[in-house]
Amino acid sequence: MSKSDVVVIGNGFAGLMSALVSADQNKKVTLLSYGAGTFPLNSGVIDIMGYDESGKAVANPLQAVAAVDADHPYKKIGTQTLEEAVKFFQDTVAAEGFPFIGSLNEQQWLVTGVGTLKPSCLIPESMQGSKCFDASEIVIVGIKGLKDFYADMVAENLAKELGNDKKYTVVTVDIHRKGERDLTTRDVAFWMDSEAGYKDFVAQVKEYAGSDKVILVPQILGTKGNVVYKKIVTDLGCPVVETTGMPPSVNGIRLRDVLLSALKKKGIRVIENCKAEKAEISGSKALSVEAGGEVRTQTYSADKFILATGGFYSGGITMRDFGQAKEVLFGLPVAADCVEDRWVNKQLFSDKKQTFAKAGVRVDETLRGVDESGNVALENVYVAGRNLSGYDFCFEHSGNGVALASAYKAAKA
Amino acid sequence: MVKDKATVVIVGGGATGVGILRDLSMRGIDALLIEKLDMVNGASSRYHGLLHSGARYAVRDQEAARECIEENTILRRIGKSCVEATTGMFVQVEGDDPDFVEPWLKGCKESGISTRELSKEEALRLEPNLSRKLVVAYEVPDGAIDGFRMSWQNVQSAARYGGRYKTYTELIKVNIENNTVQSITARDNVTKEEYDIECEILVNAAGPWAGKVAEMAGLECSVSPSKGTLIAFNQRISNRVVNRLRKPSNGDIFVPHGSITILGTSSITVEDPEDTTTSWDEFEELMKTGEGVFEHLRDYRILRVFAGSRPLYVPKGADGGRNASRGFVTLDHEKEDGLKGMMTICGGKFTTYRLMAEKFCDVLAPKLGNTAKCRTAEEDLVPEVSVADKKAARQYFPAYGVNLSATRLGTEKFPEVVKTLKENPESREVICECENVTLAELMRIAKEPTSHSVADVRRRTRLGMGTCQGNYCALRSAATLNKLFKDKLEGCNDSLSDMKNFLQARWKGITPVMLGKTLREAEMTRGMYEVLFNVNGGRRG
Repeated sequence: MSKSDVVVIGNGFAGLMSALVSADQNKKVTLLSYGAGTFPLNSGVIDIMGYDESGKAVANPLQAVAAVDADHPYKKIGTQTLEEAVKFFQDTVAAEGFPFIGSLNEQQWLVTGVGTLKPSCLIPESMQGSKCFDASEIVIVGIKGLKDFYADMVAENLAKELGNDKKYTVVTVDIHRKGERDLTTRDVAFWMDSEAGYKDFVAQVKEYAGSDKVILVPQILGTKGNVVYKKIVTDLGCPVVETTGMPPSVNGIRLRDVLLSALKKKGIRVIENCKAEKAEISGSKALSVEAGGEVRTQTYSADKFILATGGFYSGGITMRDFGQAKEVLFGLPVAADCVEDRWVNKQLFSDKKQTFAKAGVRVDETLRGVDESGNVALENVYVAGRNLSGYDFCFEHSGNGVALASAYKAAKA
Repeated sequence: MVKDKATVVIVGGGATGVGILRDLSMRGIDALLIEKLDMVNGASSRYHGLLHSGARYAVRDQEAARECIEENTILRRIGKSCVEATTGMFVQVEGDDPDFVEPWLKGCKESGISTRELSKEEALRLEPNLSRKLVVAYEVPDGAIDGFRMSWQNVQSAARYGGRYKTYTELIKVNIENNTVQSITARDNVTKEEYDIECEILVNAAGPWAGKVAEMAGLECSVSPSKGTLIAFNQRISNRVVNRLRKPSNGDIFVPHGSITILGTSSITVEDPEDTTTSWDEFEELMKTGEGVFEHLRDYRILRVFAGSRPLYVPKGADGGRNASRGFVTLDHEKEDGLKGMMTICGGKFTTYRLMAEKFCDVLAPKLGNTAKCRTAEEDLVPEVSVADKKAARQYFPAYGVNLSATRLGTEKFPEVVKTLKENPESREVICECENVTLAELMRIAKEPTSHSVADVRRRTRLGMGTCQGNYCALRSAATLNKLFKDKLEGCNDSLSDMKNFLQARWKGITPVMLGKTLREAEMTRGMYEVLFNVNGGRRG
């Protein structure tokens, strides 16, 4: 039996931030981690609110957050908490030497791995797509043997977004690999970490660089924070921009690594490969969580629990039988609009939200699970991240924003 | 305008039509098959893929049962690369009618179908996922068959004997003079050109569309399209075919194929054979029945739900659906309706497609003065890919992928692809990991004259059909095909729309089952394509 002030269940962005903010309150924190959350998937950028109800691009994320409807987690969290959470996050990553630029009053623009533009709010310096706006030439660098990044496709779509008065040049870099396995961006990023690889890359790209140009690359600028980025912009004398991309996302893993490093400094206990299986509950309080690793099962008790196990993708919410959506660990009340003809849109990519995407734990303004009449289910269990109901993070581009703000609020409660 | 002629023109590129094309070609009769879309787009690829032992029909229709077991044995021999010789199990669980067992065993025996009783322990050892409520189990010689591939192999076999085929060529008119079919008018659905094809005999093998073809000749042929809905699961739930031992009904059959399992089937009479929609109710009915055999069915991820229409022949005065015969009929319209030069084949099931063709051609050939005997059971559909070619391929991609690719490509194309892999290392890129499709194979298939669209290439390579349902290969195939085949393939518009269309085509089969682990996959698909790639476009305003 292990006793902490706070036990955080979940290893994604919401879980790590919950643990950090809790530790900042001088709490003894244990984090139960299983898998890697969605870091390898979400490119490690903090979207706050990209598109409003009608699907229009948001210019000022803070204003858009203030305008959401009553069921939205942001409404329960409040804009002031969001502002504090953003500051906490930016201070944390800056202290780790991996600063994220941006503010709640403006949108940043990313170039995606297929050449479209994407709004986001807090991003690493290496992903400032807006640098492409004023450039006269975009040099798109593909890597020989790297699938999932097609420079021609990026050029085709970027020209549609930014216009044909710019020049789009496609360049292919050879990393001289010996093996036969297909490459991922992570393989190339490791190559860029090495001195020989870095020099080789710069030598192959140098002739295309220029002050009014942008070098656009997949997420290959090293695996460690902004080390390679800072070096390469100096060496090439030219802006370099990374795109979002297919999993595994190098930048997602960079962000995870710096947050884990911050966790370590704060003395947070991280139990790895440990799946929370069941909770012990007495009356309206959770007493402990039973969690298993490869070898044995342990009981983790605490005064407070933060649930950050994710949605359908991560398995925090499930619906085995239609209409029977569940939160699997504590059995918290789930809001899901299970009406057959509106549960899912016939069009995958449409101008409407997907109803199923909004399914999650119904919470009150303290982020504790509540039944339909508003009665708190468990008074010491708080919910953060995609476990929450009432928003479609894909439609809005708000996933990591809700995760950050709810983690901050849950930890401060 | 007359542009072409053939002694026999066959309408319909399903199992029935291709079986007849092969049979006639092997008898030395000049035959041309036309198909309005891609080959095998109807029921011959939209079914559970069961190679019947005949046991399912042992009680009600022993003639069908006998035909099945005979054909089962023949297809295993001539179509090795399309058949998984899995064997099958007939099982009863608590609550099933025990009185059905004895007549069933008797029926199997009389039909020549071997059965072996398995103890409960042995059955559960062989198939550990079976329900613990299992009561009895028998082994029968069922198997799994890839209908799409086998149909194509029939076409390839026919081509070696001079048989011809045209896809995307639709019958629009039957030209009759003096109560005799003179020619047909066809439309090329790619170029929209219309032209006549002269023929001595027109064969209507249009399956559930046969009624519509008959109508064009002013005839009546009552076909009742019966829609069957099927569910594809993400894994092999069992290694053998598993049937419910009871009076045939919906949701009785599980068939393992490669890395997936198909559960079928419902039977709903529909007006339009093009109707392949599925509903929650059909899905729930199949799941509820299926759970009787595999209790944990809902814990498996469902890949997709799909439907196809059976071509059930309804003799005048009878009703359709489950009670209609699974047998087939040959209609000689000269005898039946006084129209010379036209015959219709209707009904039947995939397992007996070869026999249907044989019996049909036994009537047709003498009309042309041809007395050659049917030889379709004697010769393999396609020669096997040589061991040396497979060994050479093993240097360039995973051993598991070699067999998949070899059976997809066949003796002619496989060595060509291996040569490309050898000479051009970049073509070794695996575009689709689920089905092990290399860039070299994709390029080779895209070049085929019968590949008109991206969807054709997808069906032939199985790109995007596997367990990721396009999550990873949607990007790769859109980017690659768009770059290399923009001018050749329909469906190459711009890379972004192509990618969205590819995923939307998969989505159609996913929406009716948006629960369980399918939800998990859907959340990932959206996370990747809507969030990371922002496929709906950037500065929307």
